Amino acid sequence: MAYNHKVILLLYNKILALYPQAFREQLGESMEQTFKDLYNEKLRTKKELFHFILSTFLETTIGIVSEHLLLIFKGAIMQGMLGSLGSSASISFLFIAPLIVLEIVNRRQFNEAFPFMLFTVLWLNLFAISLILLPIMQARRTASTTSPQTNTLLTKPSSTLFASIALFLFPLIFILLDSMGWISLNRFFNGPNPEQPYLFGQILSLALISIPIGAGIIAGRPIIHTLRAGGSLFAHPAHLVIVFVILFLFTMSVAGLIADQWSCFMGVQFCD
Amino acid sequence: MATNNTNQPLTPAVFHILLALSSGERHGYGIMKQVETDSHGKVTMGPGTLYGSLKRMLDAGLVRESDKRIDPEMDDERRIYYQITGIGTEALASELERYKRIVSLAQERQLYPKTYGIQP
Repeated sequence: MAYNHKVILLLYNKILALYPQAFREQLGESMEQTFKDLYNEKLRTKKELFHFILSTFLETTIGIVSEHLLLIFKGAIMQGMLGSLGSSASISFLFIAPLIVLEIVNRRQFNEAFPFMLFTVLWLNLFAISLILLPIMQARRTASTTSPQTNTLLTKPSSTLFASIALFLFPLIFILLDSMGWISLNRFFNGPNPEQPYLFGQILSLALISIPIGAGIIAGRPIIHTLRAGGSLFAHPAHLVIVFVILFLFTMSVAGLIADQWSCFMGVQFCD
Repeated sequence: MATNNTNQPLTPAVFHILLALSSGERHGYGIMKQVETDSHGKVTMGPGTLYGSLKRMLDAGLVRESDKRIDPEMDDERRIYYQITGIGTEALASELERYKRIVSLAQERQLYPKTYGIQP
């Protein structure tokens, strides 16, 4: 098999560009030279060139993924995310706590089951809002007090913009397929018997709600990164628009639910 | 910043890289070839593994970048050389000491098959 040497070296160079910035700057050049040396050796010996190219590209790709994972798990990103997970969960609960109290106090005489699903959905929406918003607010507060972080795939404006848009639009594919009659979302969520609780549907709903949360978090990463470095909130307008749209959707969902159930919280009988 | 504790056991990749560098400065390709020779072809590492380990070793102060120069045995391209540091030498010595103790223990317990032919 004939190989275009320049293309292979160029391809390897492109792959190396995917390493975290600090790694690439420190070792990228040396790595490229080593690949060139190994490649020349295989060319000289004419031994297993295809196997070498394939295995080296694969091994380097695994290396890139591990370096990014290492940065994410060891670095401030994961620590920050874990911290905001706990805070967001508590804040969301504090927001719905008065409604829970109203529900318990005002509806105790009606002998009804406690609406767990309603409060779970409310809590989830508020959790999503604070999970996206909280790190941005914290970054504004701690601007310039933290050391600059390494640019990773999770803070690069281009990759995060692409990933967040792709994630945000992903559920639309299902809605489109449903509207074309190719799949039945109703059956997916409610199961064959809508009267019975359907575990798969509940898991699917949770997965679906986590997609826009993920999109919002990813879109917020470069904003947080810039804010921590002392930059402006408006440095990434496209990201800010995505974050705003997602936050708006979750806020509308919360407002809609509260408005819909307000009479129930106030103790009106047959409110549904 | 040197953060490595020299008493900590080393990963096989780090051990082989330190062993390769213990006999002199080498560039990336040279380290790979030396590791292959030292292990009689049993250990081969790709660039991803080698440089992933080197990054950790540089951060821990086990190795350092030397300089960029031409390898007289290769072409006329300038390559970055790596050299073992004092901490790296200590870590390698600790690891070898650990190996030595394990070998002694294995001999004591007569765990060696006779075909190994290793003398205490």
